Amino acid sequence: MKYLILIHSNPQPWGHPTGDYLAAHQELPEDLRKRLNADFEQVLTELQANGELISGEALGAPSAARLYRWQDGAPLATDGPYSEAKEHLAGFFLIDVESRSRAEEVAVKFSGPGETVELRPLMWPGGDDQ
Amino acid sequence: MATTSSRPAGTGLPTLADVWRREAPHVLGALLRRYGDLADCEDAVQDAAEAAAAQWSAGGLPDDPRAWLIRVASRRLIDRFRADSARSRREALDAARQGNDPAIAPAADEVPHPEVDDTLRLLFLCCHPVLSRPSQVALSLRAVAGLNVEQIAAAYLVPARTMTQRLSRARTALRQAGARFEMPSPPELPARVAAVLDVCHLVFTEGYARTSGETLLDASLAEEAIRLTRQVHAALPDHAEVSGALALMLLTHARSPARTDAAGDLVPLAEQDRSRWRRDMIDEGVALLETTLPRGHVGRYQLQAAIAAVHAEAGSYEHTDWLQISVLYDMLGRTAPGPTVTLNHAVAAAMAHSPAVGLAMLDPLRTDPAMRRHHRLYAVRAHLLELDGDPTGAADEYRLAARLTASLPEQRYLNRRLARLENPSR
Repeated sequence: MKYLILIHSNPQPWGHPTGDYLAAHQELPEDLRKRLNADFEQVLTELQANGELISGEALGAPSAARLYRWQDGAPLATDGPYSEAKEHLAGFFLIDVESRSRAEEVAVKFSGPGETVELRPLMWPGGDDQ
Repeated sequence: MATTSSRPAGTGLPTLADVWRREAPHVLGALLRRYGDLADCEDAVQDAAEAAAAQWSAGGLPDDPRAWLIRVASRRLIDRFRADSARSRREALDAARQGNDPAIAPAADEVPHPEVDDTLRLLFLCCHPVLSRPSQVALSLRAVAGLNVEQIAAAYLVPARTMTQRLSRARTALRQAGARFEMPSPPELPARVAAVLDVCHLVFTEGYARTSGETLLDASLAEEAIRLTRQVHAALPDHAEVSGALALMLLTHARSPARTDAAGDLVPLAEQDRSRWRRDMIDEGVALLETTLPRGHVGRYQLQAAIAAVHAEAGSYEHTDWLQISVLYDMLGRTAPGPTVTLNHAVAAAMAHSPAVGLAMLDPLRTDPAMRRHHRLYAVRAHLLELDGDPTGAADEYRLAARLTASLPEQRYLNRRLARLENPSR
């Protein structure tokens, strides 16, 4: 089963890993920060070694985005960001795992203060006829 | 099969592929019997396959392709060991070679069917309990079915790199666990056979559930699963659950020509054109069941196959013997209880008795943590509410089911049902 893990964040200034640029993350006690980072590194290594990680990418700043909206019958291009929301899509990981519970076990390790982690199932082109 | 001499020069490769897929588990088995380590042996067998591709297409097939492949693979394996500086590996090799004739022959304690046993032992190794299900599946398709990494990756819609990782992790785990190419001990055997059947069935359902053309060259995953299960059946002809699993796959696969429409959309069982079902597969599945069921112990695969056989014998969805299906699901619920069994049992009971009976059976599932967010619970509830004359309630459940499913064809189907309820004139 494939899942997309989306990291919504707002690092100031924009940068990766996002935790290094988030006040809420900076304020954590040093040992907790270390543990969170180590947990993340460990789950990423594990995903890769197990053949569960398909891909993952960090995204550029939302202000660097180019937006295309349909207006008067034609696309109109403007510069980003896409939304004025507090958080923006900062990066994603595409995984292929045995079950939803495994996906949840992985996604929870991606969470940290000051950001939202979103776990979304991918649609697939099959089904059963029961 | 055509011989190379009957083909024009330079078109020997399809023959090579046929030979390769037939011989791969036996060549690997012969190496494993002597050298033990799956990762090393698979690498050597792969080297031999490449050598065969180069030499056979030019010079034609050797008289005994299996002996040729074993000879070349053994030589490659020994070369690899020699190049390996790790002392422990050399020692292991020396130990393995002591007392073994270089001509690879089955050991004296082996049962009289080395061919079928090789396949079975290889499946036992690939379905070893230290591995996760997806790893067991990938390894079985690679080592036993002889598919290459690209084919397996394409079948599971993941990049080849991801599949390579999965396979190498699985081989390392087998090495670390000290897993061996041998028959499990009698007390272990039932659980190990069950694991092999579950893996074969998982490959089958994955293949069967596919509606778009994710085929592996000329063979689909469902057909690979049937091929693997046939091999298990050949090795264990008297094992009732092996026969049951094979019968289940045949009886289910028989429906495949009718389960998608011209646009590639899923056709539910109720609406399938049954004249398109594969009669040959149904006959074979029913015959398997008829020899197996009277023998006594009835496991979950035999019961599921029996249910599929009742569907196969019905002229239409309405003329199905729902009472018999309901009784069989009741037995299945006691043999192998689970929410999916309850769901299907509820549908059968609704058809045999009344929608209200089915709906009542579903109630406990609405608080089941595994089912609460599962689309099938709501799809079945929607269907039964519709039958019960509650279009508003049915529409709510169709909406929820369509939102929860990760299957594109099912989502299209559920949205169609919803649209029909909301706008009956369409």
